Amino acid sequence: MNPKIECRNISKVFIQKGKQRVHVLEDISLEVMHNEFLVILGPGQSGKTTLLRIIAGLETPTSGQVLVDGKEVTGPGQDRGLVFQSYMLFFWRTVMGNVEIGLKLRGVDKKKRREIAQHYINLVGLQGFEKHYPHQLSGGMKQRVGIARAYANNPEIMLLDEPFGQLDAQTRMFMEKETERIWQTEKKTVIFVTNNIDEAIYLGDRIVTLKDKLPGRMDAIYDVPLPRPREHTDLEFVKLRQEITDRSELVL
Amino acid sequence: MERSVANEVVKHVKEKKPWTVGRVLTNEYFLYVVSFFTFLIVWHYIAAAGLLGLATPEATLKEMVRLMSVRLAGKNLFGHAWASSRRIIIGFAIGAAAGLPLGLLMGLNKYINSIVKPVFDLFKPMPPIAWISISILWFGIGEPSKIFIIVIGSFVPCVLNAYSGIRIIDPELYDVIRVLGGNRRQEIFYVSFPAALPALFAGVQISMSVAWTCVLAAELVSSRSGLGWIIIRGMKLTKPELVLGGMAAIAVVAWLFSVAASGLEKVLCPWKRGIKEL
Repeated sequence: MNPKIECRNISKVFIQKGKQRVHVLEDISLEVMHNEFLVILGPGQSGKTTLLRIIAGLETPTSGQVLVDGKEVTGPGQDRGLVFQSYMLFFWRTVMGNVEIGLKLRGVDKKKRREIAQHYINLVGLQGFEKHYPHQLSGGMKQRVGIARAYANNPEIMLLDEPFGQLDAQTRMFMEKETERIWQTEKKTVIFVTNNIDEAIYLGDRIVTLKDKLPGRMDAIYDVPLPRPREHTDLEFVKLRQEITDRSELVL
Repeated sequence: MERSVANEVVKHVKEKKPWTVGRVLTNEYFLYVVSFFTFLIVWHYIAAAGLLGLATPEATLKEMVRLMSVRLAGKNLFGHAWASSRRIIIGFAIGAAAGLPLGLLMGLNKYINSIVKPVFDLFKPMPPIAWISISILWFGIGEPSKIFIIVIGSFVPCVLNAYSGIRIIDPELYDVIRVLGGNRRQEIFYVSFPAALPALFAGVQISMSVAWTCVLAAELVSSRSGLGWIIIRGMKLTKPELVLGGMAAIAVVAWLFSVAASGLEKVLCPWKRGIKEL
């Protein structure tokens, strides 16, 4: 079977202030299968976000290419949904207004888009909060809106950029469970970027690790064959955690 | 009342505490009243002692009540208040109608910004009242010259706030529209305008207060009507209660304008209202 997403030798160099060259990504090649949950695990400053933005079409790679269904990505598109690290909700719109925005941009009529948006608001567990504004919500609830907004646009691929980085540990674990539940309910091809090993093992079908320090390079790929839902205390879970930690310590 | 939403507990609590002396004394509304009455009492004693050439609060209030029925130069107090307000409404409307779109365009398009900014920066620090002579030269001493000053005065803060309202928008908010499949026009209509709206209102509020300064200056220089003219009239007749009455009337009307602007903002920016249900 052909991969859903294919990254071929992606490198990215940013030019800062006209002359400074910042090498962010170096020779990234990876494949993501249909409906696979791929986690990209890397420490801060390893170019994870840039990689995701390139796949989303918001940045162009300096060299290499991204293929979705065998076609080269030239810009952002409705087939790829993005969940932002800092939520990026429209503070002037209600929860409903935020979730339905993608449908509105495409000119879906009001009744239909309300119906679809309501479905995804319910899916992320925010029923009863449709008329609330983002500033009235907690961090976890805000990111639920972010996820519902991306889902409501019905993309084939979901890209999540450290979506729970700003949450406390408890809420984060709960949101990981929720992410799995939502993904199991409506399967998508997912690329999930994180710097948290537990989160990576809990969620990923496969984990791609990046080396620390710029430019980000591929380090290793781990299969996670554990059955879902996973337990953080499961022996296999802990073993894999140790394996990844040991390896990244060698790098350090 | 407690309910669990998405595993995050939301509590509805109404705080109810008994009224004690300490709570009354530290209540903010109580302190507002204390502050206001202290001001009136100090004012009264200074005026009654014949210091600083002031009229007492009572005399000022009586004079204002008298002016509501007695006509000065053909208009009672409301007539004069309307004369000033009318100038402000017209001048401000023209200034904002020109300034807000210009500021938005400067924020959205760097070429327009590069063309307009040098000239605008030249005029920006100039106090609007400096235009009085030129205004009279161009428009005579009638209404248009006063309105012109107000247009100039309200134009500048409108441009500045509309421009910065656009510039402070987080560029990632545009990415949201882009990844959802939107185009540049949709970025402007669904992000730029709504996100800049609070800044536009800040500009409107500042413009209003500048407009009041302008209208007074214009009326002090040449006029037969308006609240500024009442003050000049009081000065010429050496009637301190007339001067203070005019000042008090200005405070009241200017306050009403700012209340109206805040009210409009609450209607147009519902997300800025307080947390109601949580």
